[in-house]
Amino acid sequence: MTPLGFATRGGADSRLLDPSVLARIDDLELVARVVVEGFLGGLHRSPRFGASTDFAEHRPYVPGDDIRRVDWRLWARTDRYHMKEFEADTDTNVTVLLDASRSMDFAGPGSAITKLEYAKRLAACLLYFSRRQRDRVGLAVLTREVRELVRPGAGQLSACLHVLDRLTPGTDGALAPPLRVLAERFRRRSIVVLISDLYEEPAAVVDALANVRGRGNDIIVFHVLDPAELDFPYEEAGTFEDLESGVQMPLVPGAVRERYNALMAEHRAALQRQITDARADYALFDTSKPLDHVLYSYLAARERLGRAR
Amino acid sequence: MLSFLAPLFFVGLAAVAVPVYVHLVNREKKTVVTFPSLMFLERVPYKSVRRRRIRHWALLALRCLALAALAVAFARPFARRADAAAPGAGGAREVVVLLDRSYSMARGGQWARAQDEARRIVGALRAEDRGSIVVFDETAEAATSPTADVARLRAAIDGAQPGWGRTRYAPALRLAQKLLAESDRPRREAILITDFQRRGWDGREDARLPEGATLTWRDVSDAATPDVAVAQVTMRRDRAGDRDQLVVQARLTSTSACTGTECGAPRAVPVTLTLAGREIETKPVTIAANGAGTVDFAPVAVPAGHTRGTVRLSGDALARDDNFHFVVSPTQALSVLVVEPAGARANQSLYLRRALELATQPPTRVDVRSASSLLPADLDGRALVVLNDAAIPDGAFVRKLAEFVETGGGLLAALGPRASDGGAAIRALLPVQPGDVVDRGVDGGRLATLDLSHPALEPFSAPRGGDFASARVLRYRAVQLADSATALARFDDGGVALAERRLGQGMTLAWTSTLDTYWNDLALQPVFLPLLHRLSRHAARFSEARTSRTVGELVEAPRRGARSTHVAESPSGATIPIGDSTSAARGALALREAGFYTIRAAGAAPGSGEIVAVNVDPAEADPSKVDPEAIAAATTGAAGAGRDARPVAADLTPPELEGRQMLWWYFLAAAMLALAVEVLVANRLSRRVR
Repeated sequence: MTPLGFATRGGADSRLLDPSVLARIDDLELVARVVVEGFLGGLHRSPRFGASTDFAEHRPYVPGDDIRRVDWRLWARTDRYHMKEFEADTDTNVTVLLDASRSMDFAGPGSAITKLEYAKRLAACLLYFSRRQRDRVGLAVLTREVRELVRPGAGQLSACLHVLDRLTPGTDGALAPPLRVLAERFRRRSIVVLISDLYEEPAAVVDALANVRGRGNDIIVFHVLDPAELDFPYEEAGTFEDLESGVQMPLVPGAVRERYNALMAEHRAALQRQITDARADYALFDTSKPLDHVLYSYLAARERLGRAR
Repeated sequence: MLSFLAPLFFVGLAAVAVPVYVHLVNREKKTVVTFPSLMFLERVPYKSVRRRRIRHWALLALRCLALAALAVAFARPFARRADAAAPGAGGAREVVVLLDRSYSMARGGQWARAQDEARRIVGALRAEDRGSIVVFDETAEAATSPTADVARLRAAIDGAQPGWGRTRYAPALRLAQKLLAESDRPRREAILITDFQRRGWDGREDARLPEGATLTWRDVSDAATPDVAVAQVTMRRDRAGDRDQLVVQARLTSTSACTGTECGAPRAVPVTLTLAGREIETKPVTIAANGAGTVDFAPVAVPAGHTRGTVRLSGDALARDDNFHFVVSPTQALSVLVVEPAGARANQSLYLRRALELATQPPTRVDVRSASSLLPADLDGRALVVLNDAAIPDGAFVRKLAEFVETGGGLLAALGPRASDGGAAIRALLPVQPGDVVDRGVDGGRLATLDLSHPALEPFSAPRGGDFASARVLRYRAVQLADSATALARFDDGGVALAERRLGQGMTLAWTSTLDTYWNDLALQPVFLPLLHRLSRHAARFSEARTSRTVGELVEAPRRGARSTHVAESPSGATIPIGDSTSAARGALALREAGFYTIRAAGAAPGSGEIVAVNVDPAEADPSKVDPEAIAAATTGAAGAGRDARPVAADLTPPELEGRQMLWWYFLAAAMLALAVEVLVANRLSRRVR
């Protein structure tokens, strides 16, 4: 069982979701279909909850629920408050913001896939999944600027997959400038999924996200890191080079590992705290995690967002 | 001035460069690892560039110091005193090298070491110095007179050989004292090269070097090797049936400087008995280090004539005490002539003859003659003449008898009823002049006082040594002691019972009663037999022939009937005239070698004559040592002996100097100290960085 209570299918399909296997499949649509269909097939109940006109089910009222969705007829019969659940809203914009800065082009020792490739497959899965939800999907590729932008639309999935397919790592990255630009472009409320390694100060990330959040968009942040960035497993002394700035630093990994891990953990904790405080969702994934785990997280976030509406 | 025994270890000083290399030269590897962002790594307080710069000079200095001290320690440094090394410092020297040549120096490699030491000392002499070589054992002799000719000194050292004598330091030191006292050199030194055996020094020697002279030494002892020696051989003659048998027993001793368990297990040593050059028997003896053992060989028939015998064991570290030589002589019989008066009483000589014939040491042959039928030729081959109350008129026999006594023969006279009938010539030989007969009545008298300190009566001094008081004397002859005669026993009334007188080389004894039961019953007392045996041996001056002698003893040339000169053949084959001025005493031979000497009359055929077996003194094998400081203190005075007794540094080889000084130890300690301080400093600095 997954952390969210969903069961996955058997071992054969789970193996297909392994990032190291997916990394060998160039066709992103195929990847997305395999992942999403496999994922959907394993769910015990429909994930599509929302505010559509198609009734789904009743559930007891809990304080805080929107009283406009109380089933008054049922109250009249039973003298109890029940909420009416409907099929998911199919009129939602889902935009994936993909960080394609140079730092994303990294695969640590033992990793079969770079963070960018993982992020591309993740984005493809999310977009495909959203499209199956009948959402309008869009994609923005960010570095220090907005490199590519596919405006959300019902027929934009193939365009998005095409952009992802030919995406290469860019230069150095920064979230604030492109997000400021994008905030201008979101004309209707969207679910914005940011996929990035977030090598910025947490406060700067939150400030950048505030531009988007201020427009009423719901934000889900997927923090993608390589296991090597989490554990710093290097042993031999050598010169470490920053992928974005090109700065080199000679060091002995064993001497800094403990301190690095502490700083990284502190950074992640700060990101989670501040992003959550900013009423956005945050989830960390390393590139060894199967993609359906990400979909669970996404689904859980969508569910929360749906209830919030 | 500091020198080094193994300077190649200074290559190790290059190790000093290691810390410098680590600090300065060693750069980080050129492997470049790409990493998404150095954002966090830059925050880690670790600056690798700090390694490119030396920040802790003290640490670097300590590490370099430790490595340098280690390199110096392994190079084995030693210091030569500048004054010792400087030529001519202190003025010219007079050096007397005292080289021990006692037989113990032949143990292991001691002699070679002693010669090397002597050569080294001689080699260190400078042109203005003078040296002399003195070799010594029991005696000391100068192998060279003081000379500056190093070649002569070396030749003397090369020509010296270990001898057979034992060690005595005093003669050598006295000779050194003489040589140094005669020197005009400002620095006078005696250098003693020996194995420092304790038995050579008893602390009461009077040798004292002149004022300002120093005594130094070289100890070349190698006592760790165990040595087994044949210390003693005893022979016993047994009679089996009608044949005499000889039983040889040898006593072996082992000496070693080891103690306790370090000596190892007892070992079996094969011991061989050789008689007349023929191996008789070989038996193993198990002997522990510092222990002793005995071996009994099977009885053998007593060989005819004088026979050379040797007990030998297999060679060990000291071969000179592995043989013990001895001479087996044929049984010596004592020939006694008993003279009875004409018309003697029945059985007058019965008790006398029976008693003498029972003697075994020596076996005694008794011939009884009547005074009336005596001929001068009856004295030939006799050792003792007993006048058993025989009155002998003056004549040829008495003259021959007088000569017999003068040349060492013995005369025992029993003065009975007829004692006063003899002529004046025979009375002149006796120790007493016979007087009247004293009748002690029916109760008789007793022997009251005896001189038990006299050699003839000494065995009776022991408790229950003899009951003389039980004998009853009815009559005796009152006598007058002759000049130079002494009374050995008296009766209870004060009358002389036994008197003695030396006459020339011979001895005369007079018993003032009869030797049968006519005037007394002494012949019936148990004490009669031993008394008569002692008196006959004493009068005949009998002494058992010694089977062996020790190196250093003097042997007198045969005396009796031989006024000609003698020569001796030494074991090494040299012919030594006895009585020559070179011998230690005129008419005597000083035994210098172990083995068999042959002493013969000059002109006799070589190989004939008396055989003397000579052995080394087994005490010389004792490895216990005397403290050289004690000798130095006694010969140079206590004050300053400790300082001056040290060997001169200039004479020592570099390995000896290094071994003596052991400076490497200090450098090693310095290295350890530097490393310990380095650890402390490094820890402190490390804590500060954190």
